[in-house]
Amino acid sequence: MCSLSALCSLLAGSGPRLSSQERGAVLALLHSSAVTPVTRQVLLERLDARQERQFLSEAEFNRLRAAAVRLVPHDPAEIDVIGPLDARLHSGLSGDGWRYADAPPDAEAYRTLLAALPGGFVTLSGEQQDEALRTVQSSHARAFEDLLSELAETFFAHPLTQHRIGYVGFADAPGWPNVGPNELEAREVSHGGQ
Amino acid sequence: MAGSDLPVDLPSDLDVLVIGTGAGGSPLLARLAVSGLKVAALEAGVRHPPSGIATDEVAQAGLFWMDERLSAGADPLAFGRNNSGRGVGGSTLHYTAYTPRAQPDDFRLRSEFGQGVDWPLDYADLEPYYEEVEQFLGVSGPETYPWGPARQRPYRHPALPLNGAARLMARACEQAGIRTSPAANAALSRPQQQEGYGERHACTNRGFCQAGCSVGAKASMDITYLALAEAHGARIIDGAFVTELTLTNGRVDGAVFVRNATEQRLKAKTVVLSAGAVETPRLLLRQGLANASGQVGRNFMAHVGVQVWGQVDDDLRPYKGIPGGLISEDTHRLPGIVGGYLLQSLGVMPVTYAAQYARGTLTWGQQLIDHMRGYNHVAGINVLGDCLPYEHNYLELTGELDVRGLPKPRIHFSFGDNEKRMGEHAETLMRSLWASIGAEQIWALPRAAHTLGTARMGHDPAVNVVDAYGSVHDTPGLWICDNSTYPSALGVNPALTQMALSLRAADELIRRIRA
Repeated sequence: MCSLSALCSLLAGSGPRLSSQERGAVLALLHSSAVTPVTRQVLLERLDARQERQFLSEAEFNRLRAAAVRLVPHDPAEIDVIGPLDARLHSGLSGDGWRYADAPPDAEAYRTLLAALPGGFVTLSGEQQDEALRTVQSSHARAFEDLLSELAETFFAHPLTQHRIGYVGFADAPGWPNVGPNELEAREVSHGGQ
Repeated sequence: MAGSDLPVDLPSDLDVLVIGTGAGGSPLLARLAVSGLKVAALEAGVRHPPSGIATDEVAQAGLFWMDERLSAGADPLAFGRNNSGRGVGGSTLHYTAYTPRAQPDDFRLRSEFGQGVDWPLDYADLEPYYEEVEQFLGVSGPETYPWGPARQRPYRHPALPLNGAARLMARACEQAGIRTSPAANAALSRPQQQEGYGERHACTNRGFCQAGCSVGAKASMDITYLALAEAHGARIIDGAFVTELTLTNGRVDGAVFVRNATEQRLKAKTVVLSAGAVETPRLLLRQGLANASGQVGRNFMAHVGVQVWGQVDDDLRPYKGIPGGLISEDTHRLPGIVGGYLLQSLGVMPVTYAAQYARGTLTWGQQLIDHMRGYNHVAGINVLGDCLPYEHNYLELTGELDVRGLPKPRIHFSFGDNEKRMGEHAETLMRSLWASIGAEQIWALPRAAHTLGTARMGHDPAVNVVDAYGSVHDTPGLWICDNSTYPSALGVNPALTQMALSLRAADELIRRIRA
């Protein structure tokens, strides 16, 4: 959660104009009666959530940010996908309830993966970063798979991402009386990019 | 994960203490309470009333057992969201509420194929309990079900509506000559009164069953059997993690648990362990209990659960409707395969789908986003296939400790040749079904579902942990009532059978207490 709400607003507002339009659409739907209060609270908090680095070193955190931008392309000023991961590692809790028995604990596995990226990774071009990521995808397969899955969960759970893939399932307070193909409610037609 | 902060005023003179409130512990708890016995249950997780359920997968992570487990073998299992629940109601808080009955031959694999083991009970032993559970939960299902023995009573409610994936699967199967039927689901197509809870709302087609039901339509244990149990005097203590069973003169007579960082004890004349096929053997192995047969932790099983996904032109909105609305059991027996599988249509929530797609295909970058832009057009089919017990699949304790200082479990799991043949057969069939209706971007996720075995039931104490009802062969005062007792996996989703076994165990326990 962001502790400095003024800064958060600033960060959120600093994205491209398209982003602020999308943000407006998301907020309008979240504040409508189609969303239950408990769901609204969760998604509003996530929309602007920013988490300070707690666990990884600054260099590791910067590498993770750069890698995440390539793995799940996004603007880090708009969506924080690495803060939750860092916070999870800090908590010592498992992210998903299991890990491969032949892999070290998540924190160690992720740190090893980040360390295996080439020097100056954060300043490489996007294509060079992709090439480096493909290399660690082979050399550190388990850790790469876990990292990709964890980042994908956070990224696709974000209200802006969900808006962009045309997902409206959270607006379920009225129920979904029609469930057949192409049987859309008005709020499904109007919301999100498709 | 603390429960209510109110201090717990512990009950005394308990007849029975149940550990775990999932599909194993809950029906039994209710039956014992209704019969007038003094009972209580300890549950590691907390209460998750429908009104507190958000329509958001990440927010609902608290429904899952997230203590880390180590997955070994050629087919390492995903735990957590895939199969492991936590909370008052256990895994039924996030089950998809599929409730097909097992077929009579599921219980006799050894007799039919010379492989696996027979159960120490028959379909006829479970049939009255199946019917009772279906009526009590309020299962919605078709007027006539094409497979298995004829039903004595129809399902209580009409089948739920078919969503996009279900209708596509119906069309594809019809073209292929495969019979389908609306599935039996323990979610209400009509409102229903539930003793101890009140009126349960009809399903609103909010396809979030696997992240918890917010309207009370889905028959999770908390709003059905546990509500009934509490209405009849059962005590349910949540946020209570059991660390040890207590014994006096070799007889189990209670449990030690930690709640709000405080250790407490409860005594009871009989203890029923219903913590599931991972935590039950984990506790027993730590204490070296119930294991004269050496079978605790052995024969771990998980259903063949391969999923095939595709995208179509139609706008399907896979977040709508009961996820598994359509079923076929035409593949219950297949040439060259021991046992068989059933087919189910699949809707899916977006985060689950994205994470599975990323992990399963290792797609990332813009390609991942491009694929997910088609989310609204995604439809799935999956199978639920039998799994034989094997020597090479087992649970053991490791030297790695969890946050409580308890050893993490390591679960070895590798499909045998039979499961591989079954999985290949299923994947080929599902791919062809989706291709036949013009689906694109078809991909398969090899997967195993549920946690089964590790404390199996059988008549012979030399090779089984519990008897045909769940009483532990070598340890007086202790019963096991959960899916760890399954001798073989059965070719159906396990919850309904588990609840039927739970009521049957309760009736026998009452009989023995009163004998």
